[in-house]
Amino acid sequence: MLEFKGISKWYNVGGNKTYILNNVDLIIREGEFVSIMGPSGSGKSTLLHIMGMLDEPSEGYHYFMGQAVHLLKEKQRSQLYKQHIGFVFQAYHLIDELTVYENIETPLIYQNVKTSERKAMVADILDRFQMVGKKDLFPTQLSGGQQQLVGIARALIASPRLLLADEPTGNLNSKQGEEIMEIFKKLNNEGVTIIQVTHSEKNAGYGSRVINLLDGRIS
Amino acid sequence: MLKNYFRVALRNFWRNKVFSAINILGLAIGISSALVIYLIVQYDLSFDKFHKDGDRIYRVVTDIKFAGEPFYNSGVTDPFAVAARKEISGIELCSNFYTADDIKVVIPNSTSEKQGIFRKQKNVTYADEYYFKLFPFYKWIAGNTQDPLKAPYQTVITESRARTYFPGLDPKAVIGKQIIYDDSLKTSVSAVIRDPEEITDFTFREFISMATMDANHMHNEEWGSVTSSNQFFVKLAPNQSIAKLNSELSALLKKNNKNEQTSSTNYMIEQLQPLSDIHFNDHYDNFGQRLAQKNTLWGLSLVAGFLLLLGCINFINLTTAQASQRAKEIGVRKTMGSTQKQLVFQFLSETLFTTLIAAFVSAIITPWLLQIFSDFIPAGLHFDLLNQPQLILFMIALVLVVTLLSGFYPAMILSGFRPVLVLKNQAFGGTAKTRRTWIRKTLTVSQFVIAQFLIMATLAVTKQIHFTLSKDLGFKKDAIITMRIPWNNRKPDPNRDVLLNEINKMPEVQLASLAEPPASTNTSSRTIKYKDGKKEIETDVQLKYGDTNYLSLYRLKLLAGRNIQESDSEREYIINETYAKILGFNNPEDAIGKMVGEDKKIPIVGVVSNFHQSSLHTPIKPLAICSAKNNTYSISVALKSSNGDSKNWQNAFAKMGVVYKRLYPEEDFKYDFFDESIAKFYKSEQDISRLLKWATGLAIFISCLGLLGLVIYTTNLRMKEISVRKVLGASVRNLITLLSTDFIRLVIISFFVATPIAWWSMNKWLQNYAYRTELSWWLFPLSGFIIILIALLTLSIQTFRAAVANPTKALRSE
Ligand SMILES: Nc1ncnc2c1ncn2[C@@H]1O[C@H](COP(=O)(O)OP(=O)(O)OP(=O)(O)O)[C@@H](O)[C@H]1O
Ligand SMILES: [Mg+2]
Repeated sequence: MLEFKGISKWYNVGGNKTYILNNVDLIIREGEFVSIMGPSGSGKSTLLHIMGMLDEPSEGYHYFMGQAVHLLKEKQRSQLYKQHIGFVFQAYHLIDELTVYENIETPLIYQNVKTSERKAMVADILDRFQMVGKKDLFPTQLSGGQQQLVGIARALIASPRLLLADEPTGNLNSKQGEEIMEIFKKLNNEGVTIIQVTHSEKNAGYGSRVINLLDGRIS
Repeated sequence: MLKNYFRVALRNFWRNKVFSAINILGLAIGISSALVIYLIVQYDLSFDKFHKDGDRIYRVVTDIKFAGEPFYNSGVTDPFAVAARKEISGIELCSNFYTADDIKVVIPNSTSEKQGIFRKQKNVTYADEYYFKLFPFYKWIAGNTQDPLKAPYQTVITESRARTYFPGLDPKAVIGKQIIYDDSLKTSVSAVIRDPEEITDFTFREFISMATMDANHMHNEEWGSVTSSNQFFVKLAPNQSIAKLNSELSALLKKNNKNEQTSSTNYMIEQLQPLSDIHFNDHYDNFGQRLAQKNTLWGLSLVAGFLLLLGCINFINLTTAQASQRAKEIGVRKTMGSTQKQLVFQFLSETLFTTLIAAFVSAIITPWLLQIFSDFIPAGLHFDLLNQPQLILFMIALVLVVTLLSGFYPAMILSGFRPVLVLKNQAFGGTAKTRRTWIRKTLTVSQFVIAQFLIMATLAVTKQIHFTLSKDLGFKKDAIITMRIPWNNRKPDPNRDVLLNEINKMPEVQLASLAEPPASTNTSSRTIKYKDGKKEIETDVQLKYGDTNYLSLYRLKLLAGRNIQESDSEREYIINETYAKILGFNNPEDAIGKMVGEDKKIPIVGVVSNFHQSSLHTPIKPLAICSAKNNTYSISVALKSSNGDSKNWQNAFAKMGVVYKRLYPEEDFKYDFFDESIAKFYKSEQDISRLLKWATGLAIFISCLGLLGLVIYTTNLRMKEISVRKVLGASVRNLITLLSTDFIRLVIISFFVATPIAWWSMNKWLQNYAYRTELSWWLFPLSGFIIILIALLTLSIQTFRAAVANPTKALRSE
């Protein structure tokens, strides 16, 4: 499903190249549940952003679902990730001005889904996450765990094939964290490929494979 | 999707109530002024735009040079029109009409309220049979529609006149009814037309056939005398050369005007004036209608543009300043798959939302603004959104333009955030921020440049007006009234002596004189020749009629010679210094006893010191004062000081009114205070000054709103810093200084930008005056001081609040 070949990312700091990612090779197959681990600053988030096409590598080959991403134009790339990739963030990143319902609906709007269909899809997912009663609340009126549930619901609304999660439980207590991991597990069983960044061995245990990053290299 | 955008817009709008209010108020003021000024400009520009083949219709006007002095006359000499019709080719159609002002109308056996006597009817003209062919926009209601003006003693009237003269009669029944003009011309109504509803200067309501004038020998057959009453319009055949026709028309005049000698300083030529020029060109009058000034229209448009711009700048500044608050939303939306285009669209629709509310507010405040601009608003103009579809279109266009102008830049900035940076909280590191604040600062400086410029201009204009009104004009102008006496066939008119005597006897009156005011807008003048033995000096000299009391009433200073003696017609002159100098007498004494004039030699008996005969736009011209009772139709009255009790004067006016009415029962008693008449010379300056004051006030208001918004924003951002500093011992004054310095620096920069621009343009404006005030240096620092003071006050609203706030509050929340 996803392949990195010689992917590097560097910044010019005071005239010197500082490598964040250094010559990363990596293959992730459809249906895997991968956890990326490593010390702070080792480049985990950067790697995930590149996988999600939010950031560009400085060098290397990037394939996603059979397409050479490094050759695609901005527009085609955005088309590709819009359809197939969902994001979950540590800080939830919900839009404060929108209600729960509207937050979840947003990706569908950008994919030009018809209003009636949107209604059905959002209703469906609200039901699945047992949040029908909260649909008209604003993010600030929810607990952290509930916000992250909305974040996941939003990531899943367009039925992505790949779910990218950057420390999804980082801001949650352990019980909330477990709930989230159970959901991931279930999703993975339904066929969604999941890549998560985590600091917790326990969370990594839910996955099928662990990738360790150290100073921008896979160890 | 739009619904979604508007929902977010609405929520953002409520969340930032203060900023929204600032944006809306600024934009609403801008939009309303644009609306009002659009109404005015559009109204004046649509005059006589509807005529069929209007681009080929011209008026023939006469330009005269007389002793080197140019004169412009909107008419032609009497025989000219008939000759031109016969002899000039290239004219497809032409019409000649003669305006008749204040004509007396009598309707025999009338049942109307005034018993059928209308003393001073306006909008009456003698028109030839071609008039309605050249101007076919009139709609016929009844009567002869083919040649209603061909025969003598025919009159065409409009529906409204028909109602006035023949109340209750059907238009058809009006045909054939008699109308008597000036007690002698017995005409009958040949047709009734609808009152034109178009916006036009052709406001005639009664057309007497020109043949009536012919039949009564009312024409002046001389080729040498022009009157603006005699109007001549032509419609050219297609593709004519205007220059060629101008010279042919002038040649026709020259050929016939035999006894006139022409030279480079003395000539008379004909010119074609385009129909579209008639409403604007102040060289030529306009059958007495209001002339619009294109300069004023430009000035007004500029003011509207400025105010709109100021509102847009507020919006741009506040929106970009707040960008960080929106950054997260943008980042998230982008990761959810939004393209930059979609985001730009979203922010533009938010701007549209704000602008629409502003437009709504402006629809409410526009009637109020109309009051402010009322001096500039022509009588025929109305504001009624519902019934003026074109106004609604303009409003829509305005809303779109304002939306783009104020929304585009913030939309580009906001939608340009890179999601990774936003999500990593780095959107505000590095260069992006400094560039944006730089632009924001520039915009703020431009706002204050505009505001400063307007303050400086207002100060300069006010100073010039003060200068003109307080300048010693060379005569007394306080406590003097002037009145007119009706023109009378009986000469001498015994009533005027009675009136003068009775007024002179009143205890409130110091002195009354049969005299024209020494300064007035309409002057009569004449060419006077003087032979000093060697050469001949021909000068255009203004004539003032006054009796023996003239000099003492107006306190004119006699430099040499003696006062004039009373006379029924011109017998001796007192001249002014300027004329004496032109005649070559540097010492006034030398002029005494010299004879001027050709056929009738008139002696110079005195020389007065110069005074200003008209507005300070024009220099002092050569002038002669003479006593000619038979030609004098005004009385000047100097009143005794009222000692602040205006009852005395009111008393006197009432008594004068009674006497006047007794002597001239057909006239209304009217009088003018002389100093007020002089102030009216400067009506356009007073108007400009009023407009400038309002524009300045609004500009300062909008700019300060923007300043307030920015300072609220920065103090909120710096609340933690302020609290820490306070805990460390900073005083309230320290903090206010800290928060205000940056803004005040911008205002000071704007002062240095505005000063040279204002200095240059006000100097240019003052060139319009032959006598002008100095552009004193202190004007500029004064305006700078005013604006800095206002800015400081505005800033202090917020900075003071921030400085005295309890520091623990801000620190605890961290
Ligand atoms: N614009 C930049 N210029 C220079 N260095 C950068 C820039 N952005 C990120 N970095 C550096 O890249 C490195 C990797 O960052 P990244 O966010 O991928 O780490 P991470 O492994 O996700 O760390 P954490 O566990 O703390 O989230 C960090 O050392 C960071 O300082
Ligand atoms: Mg990270």
